[in-house]
This record gives sequence, C-alpha cells and structure tokens, in this order.
Amino acid sequence: MPLDTSTYNLALLRVDGRRWNDLRRLHGQIRTQAAADGSSYLEMGNTKVMCVVTGPSESARRGGAGGGAGGPAASSSSSTATTPNGAEIAVTIVTGGFSTVDRKKRSRTDKRVQELQAGVAKALAGALHAHLYPRSTIAVSLHVLSQDGSLLACLVNASTLALVDAGVPMTDYLVACTAGSTSGHGAGDEGADPLLDLNGQEEQELPFLTLGTLGATDRVALLVCESRVQVGRLEGMMAVAADGCGHIRAALDRIVRDKGAQMVREGAIAKGESIGMDLD
Amino acid sequence: MPREAEPSLNEKAFFLQALQDGHRLDGRKFEQFRQLDLQFGDQYGVADVTLGKTRVLAKVSAEVTVPYPDRPFDGIFTITTELSPMASPAFEVNRPTEQEVLLSRLLEKTVRRSNALDTESLCLIAGQKVWSIRVDLHVLSHDGNLMDASCLAVVAALRHFRKPDTSMEGETLTIYTPAEREPVPLSWLHTPLCITFSFYGDEGEMTLVDTTLLEEQLKVSSCTISLNKHGEICQVAKLGGTPVDAVSLVQCASIALQKVKELSTLLDQKLAEDSKRRNKGGLLAELSAENAR
Repeated sequence: MPLDTSTYNLALLRVDGRRWNDLRRLHGQIRTQAAADGSSYLEMGNTKVMCVVTGPSESARRGGAGGGAGGPAASSSSSTATTPNGAEIAVTIVTGGFSTVDRKKRSRTDKRVQELQAGVAKALAGALHAHLYPRSTIAVSLHVLSQDGSLLACLVNASTLALVDAGVPMTDYLVACTAGSTSGHGAGDEGADPLLDLNGQEEQELPFLTLGTLGATDRVALLVCESRVQVGRLEGMMAVAADGCGHIRAALDRIVRDKGAQMVREGAIAKGESIGMDLD
Repeated sequence: MPREAEPSLNEKAFFLQALQDGHRLDGRKFEQFRQLDLQFGDQYGVADVTLGKTRVLAKVSAEVTVPYPDRPFDGIFTITTELSPMASPAFEVNRPTEQEVLLSRLLEKTVRRSNALDTESLCLIAGQKVWSIRVDLHVLSHDGNLMDASCLAVVAALRHFRKPDTSMEGETLTIYTPAEREPVPLSWLHTPLCITFSFYGDEGEMTLVDTTLLEEQLKVSSCTISLNKHGEICQVAKLGGTPVDAVSLVQCASIALQKVKELSTLLDQKLAEDSKRRNKGGLLAELSAENAR
C-alpha cells in the first residue's frame, strides 16, 4: 500500500508520529545466550534481530590459509570476508518466514541475502582487529525475527553488540542507520526534508540509503543505496544518517555499560581497577 | 578452489609508493579510464566492451513466454552473468563466487530495479503471453573493473537490441519475422551506468577509477555508484572495507556523474554510428530497382 506522504508537509510529522530527525525506539540486550561466545538481541522499532557470535575459533578449513584448499564447510551458506593475515569473518543471515507480513520463504542462497551477508562481513572486517587472530574464524550468525525497515542497519548494530560481548577487539563500535528523503526523484523539489531511520512503510515509498560509520565519526564503512534519488540529495541524507549513527553509538554504548554494571553488581565479574565504572 | 595469485610484497610496496608520488603503474591519471572500445555484432543485441585488457560480451535474446502469475502485466527481464575459468583461474563453473553474486546483484539493481527497461511494454496478452528478455553476460578476459565494463556492455546490448514486431487482431497474435517487418527497439526509459572507485592508503585517502587487476587486489575498499546522465543515482554500494571520509564519497558521486555523462555520449555516438552503418542509403536505396550487378 503506498504511503500517503502528502500530510508530511502540513504537520511535519511522519506516519508514526516522529519528526524528521527522530530515531525509533531502540532496545537492545547483550549476552542473551549463556552458551554462546557472544550474543545480542536488538530492536530498532519493529525490526528485531538476534545475533550469536562463535569464535574466534580454529578455521573450519584444513591446511591453513596458505593452501587455500578449503573445505566447503563454511562457504555453502555464509559469506566470508578475509583480512590479510587475520581471522576470517563468516556471516550467516537467517530470515524467519514469519518476519514479514506475507510469510514469504527466502532461501539462504538468495542473492539478496548473500549480498547482505557480504556487506555485513566486509564492514566488520574493516572495524575488527582481526589480525590478532590469524588462521581463525569468527562466525556471526544473524536471525531476523521481524522486519520493519532499516534491516541492514539493524543487522550491523546487532552484530557489533554481539562482538563486543564476545570480546573481539575493534577500533570503535560499527554502527549503521538509514536516512531517506521526502523528495521524489525530480530535481526541483527544494522543500524536501531528509528523514532519519525509516520504517518499512517509508522504505517502500521514499528513496533511502543505509550508512554505517565507525563510531560517532564521519568515516563511512558501509554505504548502500538501492533507490533512485538525485545526486544532490546524497550529501544531506548522508549527513543526517551520520548524525543518527552518533546517537545509535551512544545507545549501544549504554547497553554495554549497563550490562557490565549489572554483572559487577551481581558479582559475576570483578570490577576493573583501571576503568572508572559508574555503578549508579 | 584455485585462487588468484596475490601480488608480491615488492609489487605492493612499489605500487603504493608510486601512488603516494601521484603515479599509476600504467601512467594514467587517477581519474582516467583505460582505452575504451565498444563494438556491436552483426546481430542485434550483441555488445562487446573492451576496457584495456578487460573484455566483456553481452548478448540479448527474446522469446515469448507465460508471465509470472503474480505479475500478469509485466514482461520478464533477466540478466545472467557467467564468469568462466576462461577469464581467470579463480572462477569456477557452477559455483558462483561472491564476486559473481555481487556483480549480478549490481546489474540487477542498476538496470532492472531502476526501471531502465519498461517491463510493462513487454506484455502481449495480459496473463498469457509476454516477452521474456534475457541478457547473457560473458567475461572473456579479466583485468580489473568488471563492474563498469559489464554494466556498459549490458546497457549497450539492450539499447542495440531489436525485438520482432507484433500485432494483435482480435484474439490472434502475429509475430513478424525480420523480413516481413523491421524489428522494433525495446522501450528504454533511461541509461544507468556505473562507476567504481577504489580507495588506497591507510585512511582510504587516494581514489582511483577503472582499476586494473593488480590495483584491484591492492585496494583497501571500493565504492560503486550507478547513475544516469540526469544525475539520478540508481544504486550506491560501498560494502565494507576501510572506512572512508564521507566528504570524499560525495566528491566521488560528482566525479561519477561527469564520467557517466562522457560514457553516455560515447554510447549514443556508437549507437548512431552503428545504425548509420546498417542503414546504407535509407529508404531510397531499399526502394531502388537497381541491383548489385
């Protein structure tokens, strides 16, 4: 069903009542699976994703990286990104058949899913210090429970949280966010506003991009745009998305710190001497 | 699985040092393409793109089929890519590499999802008969920058293609042979082309276009931008790699627009030349009674 965007200009409110620069409710948990090396659960609005990280563990393929005579163990359904002399990052995305309204079954060998996997894997490879783990594999398994826009952004954010839980060193949080524009693809639409964090309904209707940055900086690790938009709109949309990434980074950091503080309070771990941790 | 031979440490060091000094190994400028050649075959819908030592061939074919039940008014349009071991030992038959998946997704998004081809115009009888247009892309020689070459080849082949003319009289559909009626071009809405930028250096501060295979292997990250000459972006893909400054990506978009304008001009010119070559003397020559003897 097409979205009626005509009312936006009257009240400057979007279909779900947000203003142009509002994020949706972001709720996350870390260490949700006790048995996993790292795990997380992230909701961005109604998009819900679970992530489990296994590793860094010994590479599945025998003979080491040099031989290249790899077994097909990991390559059949996951996309991998290798770093020079470092760990291999294997990402698998499983989409629940119940995650969208129309209950469409998407196979794991679907090219769209493979592209998402490759995008997440390569973006993580740029952020992780994978060179510390030569000849190992870090397996990131993502499960999509519910889709309502900004799926790629949510996948990236969830895997960042799970990798923090797994204790894999990274330069900064890899965070992603979407931004759209209220313009059509005509050039003359000067009154168009950029919009932050689109939901599924808006994604159907408006041009949008997904931007992933390393922390709250302007350094772009991931940029994916699949809709027609004027080239002049790109800068505005990227600026808004980068701003959103900053807010998401703060939110993810809050989740990690809250969990840490909770674990110290419960006595699961000892409080570090060097880090001034605020427990209240 | 055989892999592409990686460049040696010496080659890498030499290449990066040269790049720091502002030189590329083949003496090109950073934003300069290799020698580009575009040729059309004798048949309609065959395009052969040569970009330096990279060579890509696209062939378009059409047949009449039954449409998908959920889209009775739309014709079928598919792009299949084939990276055979002929182009590089790293490619295997029947096992699509990640590069192949990303290439076919890129073409899909650039040409199909941006509605460059009006699929509704391929409909003959709603729900029963539609044209199915298929583009087969073959990589004949791989020396880097497959994305840009493939995209140009696919778009050129589709614009060059002519499908048999048809007519409807009551309930009967007639498809005419080329001898009976001149074949008609596809209904083409805009011409999207893509430009790939590769980034080098620790911070990704150096940008190259149209990289050779060696340069491609040494890149730290890359970004592919598809747009048409009117400045409409159809697709942007920067999938990971070293993070790059947002400002330089915006600059890339404006360079891409300029390059796409040049490429579209070249494509239009080549198409015009080809139609002139096919149409010697026009209608007057066709109607003349004089024969070759």
